[in-house]
Amino acid sequence: MAMTSVGVQVGGVSKRYLHRVKGEIYAAREVRIDVRPGEFLTLLGPSGCGKTTTLRMIAGFEKPDAGRIHFDGQDVTDLPANQRNIGFVFQNYALFPHLSVLENVAYGLRVRGLTADAIARSVGDVLALVGLRGYEQQFSAQLSGGEQQRVALARAIVIEPRVLLFDEPLSNLDAKLRVQMRQEIRALQRRLGITTVYVTHDQEEAMAVSDRIVVMDHGSVVQEGTAEDLYYRPASQFVAGFIGRVNLIAGTATRTPDGRPGVAALGTVIAAANLPGGLALGDAVQLMLRPEALAIVRDGEAAAFRATVVSCTFLGEKVEYLLRCAGEILQSVRYNAGPAELVPEGAEVGLCVAEDAVNVLPGKRA
Amino acid sequence: MTSVAGRPLAAASARIRRDPTVAAAVLSLWLLLALFVIYPLVMLLVRMLFDHGTLTTSGLAAVLTDRHQMRAFWNSLLLGFLVGIVGTLLGFLFAFTAARGQLPRWVLTAIDAAVLLPLVSPPFTTAIAMIFSFGPRGLITYELLGIKGFTVYGLPSTLFSEAVTYFPIAYLTLRPILAAIDSNIEGMALSLGASRWRVFRTVTLPLTIPGLANAFLLLFAASLADFATPLILAGNSFPVLPTQAFLQITGLFDLRGGAALSFVLLVPALIVFLLQRYWVSRRYYVTVTGKGAGQAPFASVSPAARNLLLLTCALITVVIVYFYALLLYASIVVALGANHTFTLQHYRVIFTDGLKAIRDTLIIAGIAMPLGGVYGILLGYLVAKKSFVGRRSMELISMINYALPGTIVGIAYLIAFNDRPLVLTGTALIIVACYIFRYGPTGIRATVALLQQIDKSLEEASQGLGAGSGTTFRRVTLPLILPAFFAGLGVVFIRSMTAISATIFLVSITWTLITVKILENITELSLGPAAAFSVLVVTIVFVVIALIGRLLKLLRAPGATAMTSLLGG
Repeated sequence: MAMTSVGVQVGGVSKRYLHRVKGEIYAAREVRIDVRPGEFLTLLGPSGCGKTTTLRMIAGFEKPDAGRIHFDGQDVTDLPANQRNIGFVFQNYALFPHLSVLENVAYGLRVRGLTADAIARSVGDVLALVGLRGYEQQFSAQLSGGEQQRVALARAIVIEPRVLLFDEPLSNLDAKLRVQMRQEIRALQRRLGITTVYVTHDQEEAMAVSDRIVVMDHGSVVQEGTAEDLYYRPASQFVAGFIGRVNLIAGTATRTPDGRPGVAALGTVIAAANLPGGLALGDAVQLMLRPEALAIVRDGEAAAFRATVVSCTFLGEKVEYLLRCAGEILQSVRYNAGPAELVPEGAEVGLCVAEDAVNVLPGKRA
Repeated sequence: MTSVAGRPLAAASARIRRDPTVAAAVLSLWLLLALFVIYPLVMLLVRMLFDHGTLTTSGLAAVLTDRHQMRAFWNSLLLGFLVGIVGTLLGFLFAFTAARGQLPRWVLTAIDAAVLLPLVSPPFTTAIAMIFSFGPRGLITYELLGIKGFTVYGLPSTLFSEAVTYFPIAYLTLRPILAAIDSNIEGMALSLGASRWRVFRTVTLPLTIPGLANAFLLLFAASLADFATPLILAGNSFPVLPTQAFLQITGLFDLRGGAALSFVLLVPALIVFLLQRYWVSRRYYVTVTGKGAGQAPFASVSPAARNLLLLTCALITVVIVYFYALLLYASIVVALGANHTFTLQHYRVIFTDGLKAIRDTLIIAGIAMPLGGVYGILLGYLVAKKSFVGRRSMELISMINYALPGTIVGIAYLIAFNDRPLVLTGTALIIVACYIFRYGPTGIRATVALLQQIDKSLEEASQGLGAGSGTTFRRVTLPLILPAFFAGLGVVFIRSMTAISATIFLVSITWTLITVKILENITELSLGPAAAFSVLVVTIVFVVIALIGRLLKLLRAPGATAMTSLLGG
């Protein structure tokens, strides 16, 4: 099964709703996304951020109030969902309860008027692809959550859609199955090369499957990039806090004694290679440190600053510390290197941080 | 420690102390069911099968060999079948428009009100309006079209009148089912390339089929049981079973013949009841929880189709409204079709000559209402929450009088309570008992449905906080099932005001009913007072429904299920 990939251009689309209390609100506000052919793009954000509305507009279930949507240059904004040739996978799978697995998967092919032979062949192929050979005559009520998910996936890809759309497809599965299914979805998408837009609120899931992630908040796109981009170079406190955990510390822009750019915070000056442009000395900034970038060092080694261990949570492969330093509480995560490395609660320790792991955001803490 | 250990002990002893109460309640309910449900039916069979102490099938044979009676049997089935088809179609049309039309709130309210009208009226109000419109001096046939000698009586008018009267049952059955279909399923079919029409044909309709079957059976049963409409509209050329049984008893004083006719009617009624209970209801694809879907409804209907649906619904609504406006008009003119001078004489008549019927009806309804409400909630609570021997059969038996055509119940009561050991004929008690056991089951069903939605953990949480089972019932369970209680009250009251098929056999000189008076008026061709009586009943019922609706709104905890099925069935 080889698919012809198309690009999807979401051109500044907006969707307004009338809210009972708040009046008119934007579910999506001038959303601009360019999905490249064959790309796996994820819309990530908290609930109510507009990611599902955007996806439903790409599918044709909702019509934007403003802006256009193009599939490979073809304007599809006014095209209803049944003429867009898309594959959609719903959170609750939306399997037809009155049809067998076979008929569920065959539905889109029958609509397209294929011959019985062609339908049988395609359905057989796609069921083999998702590992459901032999399930043809089952009904959705007889299937487990994972199996229903596979049927929904098979039904969406068998029609060889131009674009594959997922709306939180894994939220109804248990944690273990979720990890397994996201790997299967990713592998299948790679193999078929279908342009894919995937909606989730789970940042780990987003990082695991995506070529590129678009972070949304309050109906707008706030940042887009690869998982590494977003994790290492978040453009805002919101992105920093939404993707991974972060220590945000108030400070002021300054210079280290040896003249390099730095931030005065935690009672010391911390060198920062990635200082944003346009900052003057003395400007208020936010120091952004990931918990894993904050290393606890033994006595005698060079430490940037000192802290007291408030709590130590042993999690097996890793240990999480809460530390008090100059009135701030900091989180630190260390890989468990053995019993000798554990630091007890109440201990005085030194902390150090690599210069390139220091990020700085302009402005005060929100 | 002692206090902590003492709690479960206290709860256990409370449960033991409470058990005699449950046992006593179960026992008294069984006694009542035996007396007012089982005993009359047994007596009906006995009367049919025994002649002066000897077993005989002559009564039944007389019916089965009588060509006229057998024609009535087949006519009843034909009428029921047609009413089932037409009514289900109408009900589906309204339900689909309401559920998928993305209509503004006021249009939905208007549809609900129009649909409610036939449900809360005495069963023959549309029949009277039919006579007014299409009768010998009918407004439409005679005055408008100038047709002389048009015969309104027969199958078509009976079918039309019953379909308009009973299609709301189909509407109330189908609308929650359509609303409960996940809009994503339809969206999915659309995204796979299907046209809207194809989505409707291959997804929406198949998912509704169990509901359609259910609606058809309910309408079939309603038509089979309807006695008043055919009595007025069917005429001599189209006899049906309930009217034949009525004539057999009131005209020929032949109780055995009436019993035999009832039995012949009972067979299809019972088959429909069992089909509906054990076959159709198990085949639902969707779970109707009473909660509307959270997401915005999917645009599954094209604007043109939506307008067509709306137009059709509006037309039917206009017909219904016209019928009721006509009734109102007929009650305030001297003689509709002949003299259209304004007058209040018909109301003067019903408040003088008819005052006794009004008073009797209100007294009987006033007594039956609280008793029926308590009966419904008590039996519903016991069968849903307590385990005792014969729990399932108690629920089933409690439904019998509700499911059977009123004619059968009325004749059975007449036979059973006319002789010793229990002579109740001529008393108000026999009518009250008939209403309680015939309409109380709505309260039972509402209670059971509500209790099934109340998670066990709610009561456990209360007990975990130290409340005894008595306190738990009073503070947690009772407030949650109060809506069912009021729904039960409402239905018993409304039916007490509007029913006729069973109670026509039970009225007497001492106790009579408005509905019986209306029927008498119609047969005496004094249609003005009949119209005035009907307007009065509809008004009283609407006021009571409004009051109960207000009360339910006040009582309903946020998140609790709305009692939409107040009049379902």
